[in-house]
Amino acid sequence: MEEFEQELRQAFERRPAPPSLKRKLMARRAEKRQTQHRQSHIQLWQRLAASLVLAALLGGAATWVRHDREERRKGEAARQQVLTALRITGHALDQMNTQLAAHDRTEQR
Amino acid sequence: MKYRILALVLGTAALAAPALAQNSPLPLPPPVEKQLAARASNVTEVTLGKNMLAFAAKFMNGKDKDEAGVRQLIQGLDGIYVREYTFDKEGQYSMEEIDKLRQYFETSEWSPLIREREKKNSESTDVMVKLVNGESHGMFILTAEPKELTIVLILGPIRMDQLGELKGIGGLGALGGIQKGVKTKTRKGDNE
Amino acid sequence: MADDWQPDFEELVDDHQSMVFSIALRMTGDRGLAEEIAQDVFLELDKHLGKIESAEHACFWLRRVTMSRSADALRRRRVRSTDLWVEFEEHHGAPMEVRDSPLGARLEVLLSTLPEAQRAALVLRYQEDLTPDEIAATLAEPVATVKSHLQRGLKLLRAKATDHLREYIRDKKEYIRGV
Repeated sequence: MEEFEQELRQAFERRPAPPSLKRKLMARRAEKRQTQHRQSHIQLWQRLAASLVLAALLGGAATWVRHDREERRKGEAARQQVLTALRITGHALDQMNTQLAAHDRTEQR
Repeated sequence: MKYRILALVLGTAALAAPALAQNSPLPLPPPVEKQLAARASNVTEVTLGKNMLAFAAKFMNGKDKDEAGVRQLIQGLDGIYVREYTFDKEGQYSMEEIDKLRQYFETSEWSPLIREREKKNSESTDVMVKLVNGESHGMFILTAEPKELTIVLILGPIRMDQLGELKGIGGLGALGGIQKGVKTKTRKGDNE
Repeated sequence: MADDWQPDFEELVDDHQSMVFSIALRMTGDRGLAEEIAQDVFLELDKHLGKIESAEHACFWLRRVTMSRSADALRRRRVRSTDLWVEFEEHHGAPMEVRDSPLGARLEVLLSTLPEAQRAALVLRYQEDLTPDEIAATLAEPVATVKSHLQRGLKLLRAKATDHLREYIRDKKEYIRGV
């Protein structure tokens, strides 16, 4: 077995890499880096666009929240106005009743 | 010629103002209101159209009995127009001005319900109802006291009993009496 | 291990491309595929260069990743040993006379007939001169398993080598007769 193993070691000598290997490898590496640079550039723009969209959405959400708050404020104001109007109406009717009652008393005399 | 046409146009517009006012649910404020407001120490003005009333109804507390009643009342209305003027002293307005106010709001659609004049105390009450096919579609109240003047105009289908149920809101219970008054009470004031 | 060791990519390629290529070749038996694997391995190294701590670490890392990529490639191709034999002969076979040893001439072919695990152990043992412990670390296998693979692989290879040697001698005789 030892002789075979010796023979095996000889046979297992490393094969030289083809000359094209390094050339192709470096070319691929350069291309990859260029692509990565372009991608990161695109990603930067995508991130920027996403940020703008997010800002718009948040702004929109903030606008909606502000709108909602404003809506509620207006609604509350309108409600108060209705109650005020009805209070005044009630007061006017009270006055009317008082006057009518006074008139009735005068007539009875 | 130009000026005559202009005068004609303006005159027509002036005449048409109340009419125009009648086309929209709520009238424009009569010119006399400005003068009254200028003399008043306190003014409360509420003008709520149909849309605003519907909007306000959404914010009524449905769990509160009175507010639930208010919501039911106002949801069908076309408008509420209220003016309350408070004066520091007596004599800040005249009966002529009261008549002008009443005439401004009074049209053929309105039926006088109450017209009370108390010359001695300078008090008066005018109540008118707008009847459409025998149904009440509006109510006008004009009350005058020495130091206070109140105008209430409610447009739209009103059920007096609904108003009367809202006792919790500032004396609206008195409206229950109006229902009876529609048929029986028609008083003429001393001035008539 | 110098603390100030700075990996130089091109230098690492120059130093180890033959190693990587040879491992891939002997694992797959396909020269073209081996070249592709070697490129992929170095591109992978480029990505992880910051994590390489020393020259020895680089060597260890390259062997490990080359083995892994080769195994992936084999799984994808599902190459059977007989097919590989034919492919090798058709595309990459060097003329018989340039090979010094009959075993050398047919090694990749013979290796391709072995089970993958035994093949891997043998390549690292006889090409890279690694100890069973080092092989175990590279392949992330227990030492005992590695030793078993080595033993069985060697036995099988020897048997196949003998058969092929007979065939080789016969072919060579015929070649000589023809000249």
